[in-house]
Amino acid sequence: MDILIYGVINSIALALMALGFALVYGISRVPNFAHGALYVVSGFVTWALLRAAGLHYFLSICISMSLTAILGGLIYQFVLIRVRGMPISEIIASYAIGLAILEGLRWGGFKGMTYTLPVFIDGSISIVGTPVDFHRLLVVLAGAAVVFLLWLFTRFTRTGLALRGMAQDERAALMLGIDSDFMAVVAMALGSMLAALAAVILLPLGNIVVEAGYNVLILAISVCIVGGLGSWMGAVLAAFLIGFAQIITVVYLGPHFQMVVALLAIIITLIIKPSGLFGRQKELEERV
Amino acid sequence: MMTKRNGFILLVLVSLAFLCWSNTMAAKPIVLGCPLSTSFLYGWDAERGIRLAVEEINASGGVNVGGEKRPFAVEVIDTRDLEPGVPVSEALLAVEKLILGKNADFILGGPVRSEAALAAMSLLSKHKKISILSTGALSPKYHALVEQEYDKYKYCFRIHGEAKWLVKEILTCLMEIKERFVLDKLFIMVQDVAHARAAGEILNKLATEKGWNVTGTEIYPTGTGDFSMGLIKAKKTESQVISIWMDMPESSILLKQWYDMQVPALPFGSTLAAAEQPGFWDATKGKGEYCLANVVNAGNAPSNATPWTMRFYEAYTKKWKIEPEGLGSSSSYMAVYVLKEAIEAAGTIDSDKVVLALENTDVNGVYGRIRFDKKTHQVIPSLDPKEGAVGSIFQWQAGKRVVVFPKTIAMGAIQLPPWMKK
Repeated sequence: MDILIYGVINSIALALMALGFALVYGISRVPNFAHGALYVVSGFVTWALLRAAGLHYFLSICISMSLTAILGGLIYQFVLIRVRGMPISEIIASYAIGLAILEGLRWGGFKGMTYTLPVFIDGSISIVGTPVDFHRLLVVLAGAAVVFLLWLFTRFTRTGLALRGMAQDERAALMLGIDSDFMAVVAMALGSMLAALAAVILLPLGNIVVEAGYNVLILAISVCIVGGLGSWMGAVLAAFLIGFAQIITVVYLGPHFQMVVALLAIIITLIIKPSGLFGRQKELEERV
Repeated sequence: MMTKRNGFILLVLVSLAFLCWSNTMAAKPIVLGCPLSTSFLYGWDAERGIRLAVEEINASGGVNVGGEKRPFAVEVIDTRDLEPGVPVSEALLAVEKLILGKNADFILGGPVRSEAALAAMSLLSKHKKISILSTGALSPKYHALVEQEYDKYKYCFRIHGEAKWLVKEILTCLMEIKERFVLDKLFIMVQDVAHARAAGEILNKLATEKGWNVTGTEIYPTGTGDFSMGLIKAKKTESQVISIWMDMPESSILLKQWYDMQVPALPFGSTLAAAEQPGFWDATKGKGEYCLANVVNAGNAPSNATPWTMRFYEAYTKKWKIEPEGLGSSSSYMAVYVLKEAIEAAGTIDSDKVVLALENTDVNGVYGRIRFDKKTHQVIPSLDPKEGAVGSIFQWQAGKRVVVFPKTIAMGAIQLPPWMKK
């Protein structure tokens, strides 16, 4: 039961971390290596609004998510758009931006272990003898809600359908009058907002530290590679695979090997099925 | 009315005073190179300790080097060695840059991570630079290497406690807990770094010998963000004390989870950086109450170990607007004073002569009597500040860090969380 409960929690947490990355790549084909930095920056913005400015928690979260979305959109509009279609340059540019944000935060004095966000609901319950705190249960509910809302958004809204159109075939989408650059900005803003959402949901469980940006990026990349770059449903499935594999590893091999699981998953995927579970990069498979 | 003669004498005296002052100020400074992981608690607390001591020493005239008063100057380079994934080579580059680029006469403070400190030993030996470790690096291998190859590593000193002694200290404290509360089941959770792994192994062995039932040992990689399975294991094995050896920021997650799950085991941290900071209470909304933390030496939490302890504590608080936060504060502060004494005793900054002077150090400092073992260059520890460098274990009680061990300096008694009381 412990494995089941904490496996689900861990998987949903991974899915939340990875969804934004998967969405941006799926639509704009830009691997947003600043994803982890956006995650951390939204945590600090929420903290600043809540603690320093004294705003209401919910309002702080909303403003922080909006600001992160705008930041993401600006990053795309002013930097990434210029290197779009050049994969190496995209990686270098986005990683450099992420690095600049994270190290800038560190330089700005955001270091130490005392930056924290309060949990939404305090306390814990016992589920069939397994203690779980309420906030972790909220993570599960929020994760499920995000996936469902994302599904609705991409199927029943004009913007969502345009984004899907872009993801399926950019040229065809252009012929139908969809502004691909604008949609890519929207995708980046949405992806950044999802990173911020993951941050405000997950960071109350611990503390806000710059290093989390690097960890989140690694986990998001591993989930997306296993799930198939560009497929957000693949990312959800991969999150469950890696999430449960991590928990099982902790229980039967020890937590010592926990971090290896995500990296091992990347290697195994690249050897067996380079395009991932639901990846659309068939040419990669063909090449291999 | 002042006569011409008196006026002349006054002018001469003022000129002489100015000359003396300007000589001191103009004298070539003794450069203290500090390779520290400045983004982390054990880096910045050490830097603050060093800067405070340097400011005090310079304000009182500087260091008397064979009759010449010379001020100290501090050069800090961020080694980033406490950050996950940063290779040891970064710290080595920092040490080398301090020696070659910044012309450091002495190395103080770090490297902070044991792995980096061990790797830097050969570099220090190559450049014949004296290093006094004062924060973070706790691996017993450090002073064992000095003993094994004295001629090569004689320039390496460590002024704060090391893992083996900490384990002994913790074990003594554990025995007090065992007797007082009748507890005997211990669960060990350590971070996957050299000093913590070593300490975990030693603690496991010694605690078992002392009648503790060690119910499990879990090793967590740096950056782990979920400890639920380990805590469930601790709960299922009915563990009563959890020994935690982690300096990563995520350790605060562990303590929050411990509270949320109401695990009936007393958390006992060593190098538990998250719990050492005064801001921990607010950051966890009090969920860290009852957590014990070993801050290695007295002075890093308020106590009356020596008359100098609270003097340092207050001076630090006044200068930095925050209490001494981590395990490297008092030791880094004392490292500067001990070095000053040694340089003055040697009358030179020549490394070989200062090594001999450091070996003969005997100072009553912030955390007791400070002497180095002549073979290992490790500060001699004790449970009594009159005999040696005394440690400090505090417990979070009602928002305050209350020193509870050793008895000689305790300011309160250990308490159990309400959900542990039978």
